[in-house]
Amino acid sequence: MGAGAEMITYNRLSIALQKRFGRQRLRRMILGSIPFIVLIFLWELNTHFGWYDPIEIPPISAMWEAIFWLQSDCPGFVAAIEGHNDCNLSNNIISSIGRVILAAAVGIPLGVAFGVLAGINRVLSGYLEPVGIFMNSVSGIAWIPLAIVWFGVGWETTLFIMLNTIFWLIFFNTMMGVRAVPRVLVQGVQTLGGSRWDTIRHVYIPGALPSIITGMRMSLGFGWRALIAAEMIGGDSGLGFMIFVSAVEFKSEEVFLGVILISIIYLISDRWLLVPLEKWTVERWGLVWKPT
Amino acid sequence: MTSNNNVVSFRHKLKKFTTDGAGRLIIFLIGSIILWAFISLFIIERPDRYLPSPMAVILSSLDMLYKGSLISFYSDTLGRLVFGGIVGILIGIPIGLALGLNRTIADMFYPLMNFFQSVSGIAIFPVVVIWFGNSDTTVMIVILYTSFFPIAFNVLSGVRSVPVRYIQAARTLGASRLQIIRDVLLPGAMPSIAVGTRLSVGFAWRAVIAGEMLAGRPGLGNMIFSGQELDNTAQILLGMVMIGVTWIVLDHYLLRPLEADTIERWGLVQR
Repeated sequence: MGAGAEMITYNRLSIALQKRFGRQRLRRMILGSIPFIVLIFLWELNTHFGWYDPIEIPPISAMWEAIFWLQSDCPGFVAAIEGHNDCNLSNNIISSIGRVILAAAVGIPLGVAFGVLAGINRVLSGYLEPVGIFMNSVSGIAWIPLAIVWFGVGWETTLFIMLNTIFWLIFFNTMMGVRAVPRVLVQGVQTLGGSRWDTIRHVYIPGALPSIITGMRMSLGFGWRALIAAEMIGGDSGLGFMIFVSAVEFKSEEVFLGVILISIIYLISDRWLLVPLEKWTVERWGLVWKPT
Repeated sequence: MTSNNNVVSFRHKLKKFTTDGAGRLIIFLIGSIILWAFISLFIIERPDRYLPSPMAVILSSLDMLYKGSLISFYSDTLGRLVFGGIVGILIGIPIGLALGLNRTIADMFYPLMNFFQSVSGIAIFPVVVIWFGNSDTTVMIVILYTSFFPIAFNVLSGVRSVPVRYIQAARTLGASRLQIIRDVLLPGAMPSIAVGTRLSVGFAWRAVIAGEMLAGRPGLGNMIFSGQELDNTAQILLGMVMIGVTWIVLDHYLLRPLEADTIERWGLVQR
C-alpha cells in the first residue's frame, strides 16, 4: 500500500512538472543537465582520489571558499558597490562590467552616427568600407601593444580596446543596414515631402535597426573577449587581470572561479538581454530588412 | 575636337577609376598613407615613440627581413593557424554530425557545448597555462578550443536544416544509414560547413595572435608584443598591418570564394 501511495505522489509530481514546463522542455532540461552533473561528479571524484594535483584542478570547495577569501576584508554590501579597496572580487567584476557599459554607451551612438552618415552617401561608403573591413580585420587584440604605448598600462588601454572593437563593428553593421534599405522607401518619404532628417529618422534608422542590433550583439561578444585579453596584458583591474595574476601565482582556484564568472556574465547578458532584444527588433522592424 | 574627345574620355576613365572597386581601394590606400605620414611628421610630438611614419615602418620591415626574423615569425604564425584550423575543423565536423544525427545526444550535449563556447579561448588561457606552462602546446590548445565550436555548431544546424523528406525518400529507396549520411546529410550540410569553416578560421586567427602574445611564443603576436616592450613602435605597426592584410587576403581570396562556391554548388538542398 505504501509503495502504491508513493507511486501516486510520484505520478502527480511528474504530471505537475510536465504541465509547468511542457513535456519537451522538461525532457531537454533533464537531458541537458546530465553532462554537467557527470562533470561535477568527476571533478569531486578527482578531489577525493587525487588523480590530478589540486594545483592543476582545484577542489570545488576551494573555489567556493575563494569567493569568501577574496571578499574577506570587505566591510559590507554597500562598500562593495562603492568599490572599497579591500573587496577584491566584487571590485574586479564591477570594473569589468563598468568598462563594457561605458564603452557601449560611447561606442554604440558614435558607431550608429558614423554608420548612418557613411551609409547614406554611397561614394563615401565606398571609401569607408575598406576602412571598416581593415579595422575589423586587425582584431581588437592586435591593438593591445599599441594601446599600451599610447596610454600606458591601466584602464585607458582596456577601455580603448573595447571601444575600438565596438565602434568598428557597429559602424560596419549600421552602414550595411542603411545601404540595404530599399531606395523606393526613401523616395516614397521624399515624395510625400519628407526632409533629409525625416528620411534618416523614419526610414534609414528603423530600416537598419535589425542590422544595428545584430552588430551590437556581435560587438559585445567580441568586445568581451577582447576586454578580457586587454585586461590580462595591459590592465590593472578586472576579471581578466585577476585570472592572469592568479595563474602566475598558481592560485588555480581563483583562476577557475574567474573563468566561470566570465562565462556566466557573458551568458546571462547575451541570453537574457541581447537575444530577446534582437528577436524583438527583428519582429518589430524587420520588414525592411530581409534575413538572408 | 580630338583634344576635347581626349579630355572627355580621360574624364570618363577617371570617373570609372574612382567608382571602381580596385580604383577606390588604391585611392584609399594612398590617401590613408599620406594622412598617416602627415600626422606622424607634423602633428605628433614624438613620432618614433607614438606613431612612426610609414617610412620608418618600411625601414623596420627591411631590417627584420634582412635579419630573417620577419619571415620566421610569419611562417610560425601561419603554420599555427593552418594546423590549428584544420585540426579544429576535423574534430568539429564529426562531433557536429553526431549531434545532428541523434536528437537525444544533441539535447544532452548542446547546453554543455553552449556553456564552454561562452568561455572564450582567451579566458581559458590562464587555466591552460597552469596545466602546460608557456609552451607551444598551450597556444595550440587555445587555437583548437576556439576553432572547434563555430564549426561544430554550424554542422549541427546544417544537418538539422536538411528537409526530412529527402531522408525519407532515400530511406524509401532502400538506403542504409551510412548512405543517408554520405549522400543526403553531408551534401545538405555543406553550405553550413563552409560558413562554419570561415567562422572557425576567423576565431582561430584571433586566438593565434592572442595566444602568441600571452604565452610569448615566436610569431606575429609576440612580434607586436615585444615591439611594445622594446619601445619599438614601428615593429608594432608593421605587425598590425601584416595581421590585417593577411586576414583580408585570406578572407576575401580564399574563404569567401570557397563559401560562395559551396553554397552555389550544394545550396539547392537548403531551399
